[in-house]
Amino acid sequence: MAEYDLTKTIIPYLDRHLAFPLLAHLVETNIFPVEQVRAAQYELAKGTNMVDYAVNLFEQLHPDGEVPAEFSAKREKALSTNERLQQEAQAVLDVIEKPEVAQAMRQDKNQNLQFLKDSYGVTLEQIHALYNFGQFQYSYGNYSGAADYLYHFRVLSTDNELNTSASWGKLASDILTGKWDTALEELNTLRETIDSRAASTPLLPSSSHLESRQSLYSRAWLTHWSLFVYFNHPSGRALLLDTFLSPAYLNTIQTACPWILRYLAVAAVLARSAAGASARARYALRETVKIVQMEEYQYADPVTRFLTELYVQFDFEAAQRELAQADTVVTDDFFLSEFRDEFLDNARYLISEAYCRIHQRIDISDLSARLNLSPEEGEKWIVNLIRDTRMGADAKIDLEKNVIEINRPALPIYQSVIEKTRGLSIRTQAMGAAMARAVRNSKSRVVFHQAMFNWMFFVSINGKGPAYEDVKYISK
Amino acid sequence: MSDDDAVEVKPAPSAKPAMSRFLRTAGPDSASSSETETESESDDDEDEQELPKKAGSRFLKGDSDEDESDEDVKRIVKSARDKRLEEMEATGKTMDNALKINDWTAIQNEFDKLTRMVQRQQNMSEPVPSFFIRTLASLEASVNDALIREKESKKKMNALNARALTAMKQKVKKMTKEYEQDIRSFQQDPEAFEREYAVAVAPEVVAPSRQKKSSAKLADEDEDDEDEFTTVGKGGKGVQYTPEGIFKHLQQIQEARGKKNTDRADQIRTLEKLLAVAITPYQRIRVLLALISSRFDYNASLSSFMPPELWSAAQRETDQLIEILALDAAYAVEELTEDYDELIERTPEDEKTGIVRIRGSIISFIDRLDDEFTRSLQNIDPHGTEYVERLKDEKGLYCTICRAQALCELRKQVDPLARVIMRRIEHIYSKPDAVLNVLEMAATAFDFKPSVTLQSASSSAVLMHTLCVHLYQSGNILLRTRAMLSHIYHHALHNDFYTARDMLLMSHLQETIHSADVATQIVYNRAVVQLGLCAFRCGLIKEAQSTLHDIFATQRVKELLAQGVHQQKFYTLTPEQEKAEKQRQLPFHMHINTELLEAAFLVSSMLVEIPVLASMDSEEQKRKAISKPFRRLLDFADRQVFTGPPESTRDHIMQASKALQSGQWEQCRDLIQDIKIWSLMPEAASVKDMLAKRIQEEGLRTYLFTFSPHYRSLSLSLLSSTFSLPPRSVSSIVSRMIWNEELSASLDQSSGVVVFHRVDLSRSQQLAQTLADRINVMVEANEKVLDVRLGGGASWGDRAEGGKGDKRGEQAQERRGGRGERRGAGTRGARAARGARFAQGLGSQMARTR
Repeated sequence: MAEYDLTKTIIPYLDRHLAFPLLAHLVETNIFPVEQVRAAQYELAKGTNMVDYAVNLFEQLHPDGEVPAEFSAKREKALSTNERLQQEAQAVLDVIEKPEVAQAMRQDKNQNLQFLKDSYGVTLEQIHALYNFGQFQYSYGNYSGAADYLYHFRVLSTDNELNTSASWGKLASDILTGKWDTALEELNTLRETIDSRAASTPLLPSSSHLESRQSLYSRAWLTHWSLFVYFNHPSGRALLLDTFLSPAYLNTIQTACPWILRYLAVAAVLARSAAGASARARYALRETVKIVQMEEYQYADPVTRFLTELYVQFDFEAAQRELAQADTVVTDDFFLSEFRDEFLDNARYLISEAYCRIHQRIDISDLSARLNLSPEEGEKWIVNLIRDTRMGADAKIDLEKNVIEINRPALPIYQSVIEKTRGLSIRTQAMGAAMARAVRNSKSRVVFHQAMFNWMFFVSINGKGPAYEDVKYISK
Repeated sequence: MSDDDAVEVKPAPSAKPAMSRFLRTAGPDSASSSETETESESDDDEDEQELPKKAGSRFLKGDSDEDESDEDVKRIVKSARDKRLEEMEATGKTMDNALKINDWTAIQNEFDKLTRMVQRQQNMSEPVPSFFIRTLASLEASVNDALIREKESKKKMNALNARALTAMKQKVKKMTKEYEQDIRSFQQDPEAFEREYAVAVAPEVVAPSRQKKSSAKLADEDEDDEDEFTTVGKGGKGVQYTPEGIFKHLQQIQEARGKKNTDRADQIRTLEKLLAVAITPYQRIRVLLALISSRFDYNASLSSFMPPELWSAAQRETDQLIEILALDAAYAVEELTEDYDELIERTPEDEKTGIVRIRGSIISFIDRLDDEFTRSLQNIDPHGTEYVERLKDEKGLYCTICRAQALCELRKQVDPLARVIMRRIEHIYSKPDAVLNVLEMAATAFDFKPSVTLQSASSSAVLMHTLCVHLYQSGNILLRTRAMLSHIYHHALHNDFYTARDMLLMSHLQETIHSADVATQIVYNRAVVQLGLCAFRCGLIKEAQSTLHDIFATQRVKELLAQGVHQQKFYTLTPEQEKAEKQRQLPFHMHINTELLEAAFLVSSMLVEIPVLASMDSEEQKRKAISKPFRRLLDFADRQVFTGPPESTRDHIMQASKALQSGQWEQCRDLIQDIKIWSLMPEAASVKDMLAKRIQEEGLRTYLFTFSPHYRSLSLSLLSSTFSLPPRSVSSIVSRMIWNEELSASLDQSSGVVVFHRVDLSRSQQLAQTLADRINVMVEANEKVLDVRLGGGASWGDRAEGGKGDKRGEQAQERRGGRGERRGAGTRGARAARGARFAQGLGSQMARTR
């Protein structure tokens, strides 16, 4: 399955250190010869200050080879640099850690700087030492230490460029230490920084190309880094859908890195099981299918093909074939391997849902075959499905003929009208939220009221409001 | 010089005795004055004429070894000068005749002609012929007479004549003032004056015979002259042109340039002769620069084009110029240079930088050549052989452009390089690979070639890419836009639909194109249309339909593509507008076949529209059309009482649509495939196959929509055999329709049938549904408004269209258009807006010119 392995495409978008886990994963999966992966790991480690690790890898690679002399020199140098940087940074840290200083700190960074300078003689250069030391620590693999220093630096520094850089560093450190909650926070702040910068220079053709390209790059990077967080944080998948389906990021994915669609597709399939958000999940799935289909000429792998076969071609046999392949792809993927079972489960559910909606009478054994299940397993699965889902009332199993009869009466007209207007309030809500973020001018309020009026109008027409969940949504 | 003086002095004594004879007869005062006068005049003349004269005489001598050279000489001199004299005399005669009948208009004309000739005579530094002075004197008298007579006589002259007379009076007065001296001496003693003139001319006749005797000695003395001798010899008639005189002549020509009454053909001849005698690179460059520009000047009017011979000469000379510059790095032609003296020879050694910079612009020559070429193609009848002949010159032109590019690359001239590359792109972007190969072969046959060629680039796409990327990096926005559009066109031509579409959408050109200049708009329209054709060839019917729809909705396809002038219904174009419009037209060989275009558009409209039409059940919904032009034609065809066998492409498509509507897909397919114009499309066979397949699928869909109300269930196998589609694709199509809620039905797997659950809606239910749709549209519109206000930063709940999600938006629109009735209105709104953008194309521009 090497052809579907994305490690090589993803690594250019990652930090050197973030690539280590990916390579380690490759060693385990045996897609590529272990020697080659180890060689790659060694090459990667050589560029960092993790001398011991590099030496270790070298020894693994050449069990009887002489360890190159440069490593010891490098080690010496790293140690001395560490010493020096630590001393520089320590001076500042001592000051900051004093309780009275912590109390005197205010919101305004400039004021803080002035205060530190006046009372303790801490200059801007010294604060930069924090950054340098943090960066250095990161380079030799002390990620938690790096995160600390970078955090302090960010609190104090006013330099925007360095602050952004520190944020990236902190995000990487948090990812590598596995603190997913903090990483998620970092991710969000970074995202805001990037978005706000992009918003200040709108993407018009007249504006400088450099700016828009810059924001495209940073978004592409963020997209890749965020995979670490989203596929490890408990509620990451839903957030992933939120982020990646927002226009800016969708655009980035389409133009710069279409392979991310695999993760988007998997997340969309997984979203079903996240309870309570079924409308959202359906919407996400629909959108994802649209994008996947649109970008088919650029990128396709078993996961995305599964979705197109299922929802565009409605070719259930092909979908099942793709699903079998997607299974291995997901298993081998660094980010997705943990979600293999869940993915399969959901995919099967999607197949059977689509199948049931289209068909009136279904042969159970046939359906089981569609789902890659044995007849007994299939029957169990189907019974569970019927029990768990909304189909319950309509579907009946006829064991004698071994078929499921689905008797879905045509939707009453008022219900279809409700269906059609169901999304309106959510969309209006979203519009309201967007407006709230924007400058509150009177004009936008008019738009909002208009939309609200639409909704109220419908309440009166139908004699009852939109579906329950929408009401809940609004009242929130 | 001393030697020249000697020659000059010799004739003088021979003239003296004659003059002294006059002196004796006439009063001493006046004679002495006239003598000094003539003396100094002839001196001046001699200074200028020395060299040519001598050279000429030597030539004569060399030619005739015999002793009767004297006779020979006379003949030659006559042909050179007397011819003109004769001409003048003829004019004089006509004038006399006109005088007799008192026709002053004719006199005026003749006099103008005469003055012009005399002027030329003077330019060539020959003495004013006595004949002229005579005429002038007599004319003055007759004018005065005429005026007096006019006053006395009661009968008035006619107005024209009177005006001419007054004009003549002015002119004669002016002339007499100019030649006052001559006239006076003439009036004093006409005979003497005649003789004096004869003498002034005489030296030439005399000199050779004298010189002949001393020629042996002279030839030994200076060898420089020997060189000149050979050079001039080649020039044949160009006896009077020498390398030294070049700059003077150039300046004369430059001064005469653009003035009235300048004989352009004559100038060109002069310059050609100058070119033949020019030796140093500097001279050659200077002469070439002047020659090429005067060739371009030859044709003053904007409407007609340069004669092909002149054009090819200009092209050859441009080549020559480029070659000289390419071979010798010490010379450069630049648009901005320091001032220099036009009259002296310059060499690289004299210059501070070691490079001789000459004012001029090669790129403007290239531009002009290209423009003239296009203009000639615009004016030649495209169906004649002449057009084809002319088209063959494109190869040469392309070579010249390529060389100019190479030169610009060599000299690192950034701005001209970008322009010349643009010219090159314009020549290749719409050409199929075969033609491009020929062009490139010709261009690379020389040693001197640009850095990028087809050979080095391996494929036309790479070649285009490299050229375009160069322009993308250059700062010129106009060139960048054009290059981008040409690049898109090229991709589309090579069936690379996705790349072309992505480039078009990411360039965001569609937002700004309506403010661009007309030529760019034309290129944009061409690119879009080609993109639509490309989608059609690739089988992306919906994309093809929506792309081509914009331009067809305007109903001015030909005008928008600059392939014909549109007949306006409500107002007529002013002549200026019409002229401007004509100038914009593309030459015939660049045209995109509009009939093919229309066929592609109508067929894709049919495939999109007919199923949608079938799926609509209320009359009200039917009023909404995805493709208005198609719908109009269809309605028209419906109203026809009798339908004959199809003749035109439209007939074919309309009858095919009807067949499709009634479920007869085979008939539909045959009708569509019978259309002859497909043969113009590359890969016609595969396109036809694709169309057949589409017709089967859409036929099935139409059939289901149309006839589902009449069935309770339908067997899949029956459907599959009726439409000869594999069962799998039948079930796939049916499933898709069920899933998208286009068809209220479900599949029964065990018995293999489609079961329909159709519910008829009551009126109020229908209304409710329509209302819901409207509201949806409204919310969408709201969202769009909001998006525009806020930029792209909305949350995912908004289905942000436009703004940054442009690509998505466009696509979504297409898709929704396909899905049909539910979103029909919204799509239409957007479409109309885009259609308007197209329409604005030339419309706005025209408003501006008006």
